[in-house]
Amino acid sequence: MLFQQLINGLMLGASYSLVAIGYTLIFGVLNLLYFAHGEVFMVGAFVGLYLVVHGGANIYVALAGAAIACAALGIVAFYVSVRPVPKDRPLAPLISTIGLTIVLQNLAVYIFGGQQVAFPETIRQELYRFGPVTISSVQIFILVVAVAAMAGLWLFIERTKLGRAIRATAENHETAALLGVDVNRVVLVTFVIGSAIAGIAGVLDGVKNSGVSPFMGLGAAVKGLVVMLLGGLGNVVGAMVGGLMLGLIEILSAAYIGTTERDLFSFLILILILLYRPTGLFGTRTADER
Amino acid sequence: MPEAAAPSIEIKGLTKRFGGFFALNELDMEVAAGHIHALIGPNGAGKTTFFNLLTGVLAADEGAILFEGRPLDEGRPSRRTARGIARTFQNIRLFPHLTALETVMIGEHCRAYASIWKALGSAVLRRPFDEAAEERRMRENAMELLAFLGLAAHANERASNLPYGEQRKLEIARALATQPRLLLLDEPAAGLNPNETAALDETITRIRDRGVTIVLIEHDMNLVMGISDRVTVLNFGTKIAEGTPGEVQAHPSVLEAYLGEGVEP
Amino acid sequence: MLHDLFDGYTRSILVFTGVNIMAAYSFYAPFKTGQVSLGQAGFMAIGAYASAVLTQKFGVPFAAALPVAGVVAGGIGVLVGFPALRIKGIYLLLLTLGFAEIVQVVALSWDFVGGAQGFRQIPFVPSILEYVVALIVVLVLFFARLERSSLGRAMDAVHQDETAAEVMGLDVVRIKLLAFGLGAAIAGLAGALYAHHATYIDSNTFNIMVAVEILMFVIVGGSSTYWGPLLGAGFLTLLPEFLRTLRDWLELVPVAWTDFFPMNRVYDFLHDALDFENAKRLIVYGIIIMVMMILRPDGLLTRDSLRRLWMPRHA
Repeated sequence: MLFQQLINGLMLGASYSLVAIGYTLIFGVLNLLYFAHGEVFMVGAFVGLYLVVHGGANIYVALAGAAIACAALGIVAFYVSVRPVPKDRPLAPLISTIGLTIVLQNLAVYIFGGQQVAFPETIRQELYRFGPVTISSVQIFILVVAVAAMAGLWLFIERTKLGRAIRATAENHETAALLGVDVNRVVLVTFVIGSAIAGIAGVLDGVKNSGVSPFMGLGAAVKGLVVMLLGGLGNVVGAMVGGLMLGLIEILSAAYIGTTERDLFSFLILILILLYRPTGLFGTRTADER
Repeated sequence: MPEAAAPSIEIKGLTKRFGGFFALNELDMEVAAGHIHALIGPNGAGKTTFFNLLTGVLAADEGAILFEGRPLDEGRPSRRTARGIARTFQNIRLFPHLTALETVMIGEHCRAYASIWKALGSAVLRRPFDEAAEERRMRENAMELLAFLGLAAHANERASNLPYGEQRKLEIARALATQPRLLLLDEPAAGLNPNETAALDETITRIRDRGVTIVLIEHDMNLVMGISDRVTVLNFGTKIAEGTPGEVQAHPSVLEAYLGEGVEP
Repeated sequence: MLHDLFDGYTRSILVFTGVNIMAAYSFYAPFKTGQVSLGQAGFMAIGAYASAVLTQKFGVPFAAALPVAGVVAGGIGVLVGFPALRIKGIYLLLLTLGFAEIVQVVALSWDFVGGAQGFRQIPFVPSILEYVVALIVVLVLFFARLERSSLGRAMDAVHQDETAAEVMGLDVVRIKLLAFGLGAAIAGLAGALYAHHATYIDSNTFNIMVAVEILMFVIVGGSSTYWGPLLGAGFLTLLPEFLRTLRDWLELVPVAWTDFFPMNRVYDFLHDALDFENAKRLIVYGIIIMVMMILRPDGLLTRDSLRRLWMPRHA
């Protein structure tokens, strides 16, 4: 029983982590709260759904399609909603992303209606037993893809030249530029990567819940913020670990305390962190103290 | 030089640590009322930290401060300002979008309104609190202070638009508006040309003549030695010399600390 | 009474606009001291539920319940304001957002106020619009006075440099708490007024989208003058309505003008395009917001444009 809850917690947490990664990456390089990121997550889910339902695609194509579509969306969003807005005005970039959120959310409602849409089965449901614990093929699939995505991202950030450039830009734009980093390109890349991963997370969520809704983005946005704070603003590894932690805490508190209270837990944790350890459990990456 | 009455500030064993680093280490010092007391020393000697401790921006780790005979232990800087301590900042901290006049009027706020409820009431219900008259009085006081510092022409300009030298003077005007009995000036001559420095010299003397005790952090030795009644020298958070300008200038530790930085023996 | 001037639908629109304007002012108050709060939706919920409980469960007349709702919200605002004192920027944003979310969760799980079913049958007050208009007039006058007073100046100083303000003798703690509590109280009043017009509220009524929209109202309207919240909330609330009526305006065009090619094609295209059911309207709404932030990031009305309106002779 406990094992089941742990698996559920990890799956939920993985979803949070994947969304929070994009959030924290973008915040790290731009000091911007990219509020529309939750909607990118939703768009990924719908693209995956569309490919499966109308294109007869298998789950891997759906995942790839969602990643590509969201990467493209990330580019468009950057050039349309983020880049043209002057950064020195208070809160203007944030408002612009809120506008984008409204556009994307209602675009989904317009195309797909306001109701939840079923996500057809794409993975043959099989149960595996290891002694007293049971795990399904769907759960294994989700966890494996999520971990692979996180591992891939971690390798990219830590081991590649572009990854280093991203980290340098997160610390300080001017210094990075002086060191020869093309800051604009770096920011664009973070949007692309963050959005692609959010798209993958969206598809995984659709598989997990067997359904997608145009309103799934808002919840993801809020939880993503909490995880971003928990892990430390701009800290990618922090976002990964923080997301898993939050998922586990939510599921376990739901199992042993009560379902509506589980959200209460997350926000209480948010407030405690803010009051007593605002740099997050693992420390922030941005040099700025805003 | 006026004979010192009761001391304005008495400091015993003042210590401030940042991690393992001692910004101030067991400092003992006295500033006589009505004096111009200079605090000098190489960069990083702990001078600005000293001001931060006096104004309550930082809390001391050890030691005691007495202001006009009573312990200075209020936690909030605004309370210490209410007691009569004002300061300027080393890297100017003006309110960028307020005009020079408004900036000085901010300084008067703590004297004009005893409590925030009075201020709110006065804002909303003009008549019973005589807000208009209060505003006019504050405005006149502020103009007087601006004129005192030669800034009257800039009254309606935004603080951030003023030339550097004028900004420094505006900081002093703002601090004076709080009606201090002790004024802490943090490098008021930094970035000023010789003419401006001479004017500053005169201004500081006139402020002292109004009955304000002044503690001055400065690197400009001509200004310091010419104007001060007493000088304290800090290095690495400890006092290495103290006395009249003449005594300090000849002190071997001081010469060593400065290694000829414009100090003529 | 204004009552009879408008039909039910128009009245509702006006009430919502008025409530949004009040919500915008509730954000503006703490913002003047530099505190960005995404929690005003939470204070609206508190005021709404407080008033609903008082009137429906305890039979308190609305005229008495309304100020109590404001005081309760304001009191909780001061409590939240304490920890908010030492937190700035994005952290404060997240703290206040967390607070609003917690209020939502409490409303969802507390059966006394309806829980998941929501709070039904809140007593309908026919003169809500009059209350709203009166309170808005009071708010505008209040903020106009505040702007030109020394307290308003002090708040500006706190906003621009908190440490310097404190060292210059301003009681920064009291100023910030006052602003925060005031904002919460105004939000509470707005929430209560909404509740007694809509007669139904639940945990989703004052959700995160509402919270961010309130922020949007003030920034779009222009955060540097006291007209900003009024303009922003009015403009953004009425915009979707305006878009809805565009097609009606189009149909007023005389047939003779569009009977021939290419005008008939243009007309048909516009007629189809302007078919603004809900989602489409909101898409345009979102686009307009993004465009506004690119073209006019300081908002509709700024200090400079206000000055230019007053004194056109000074270049």
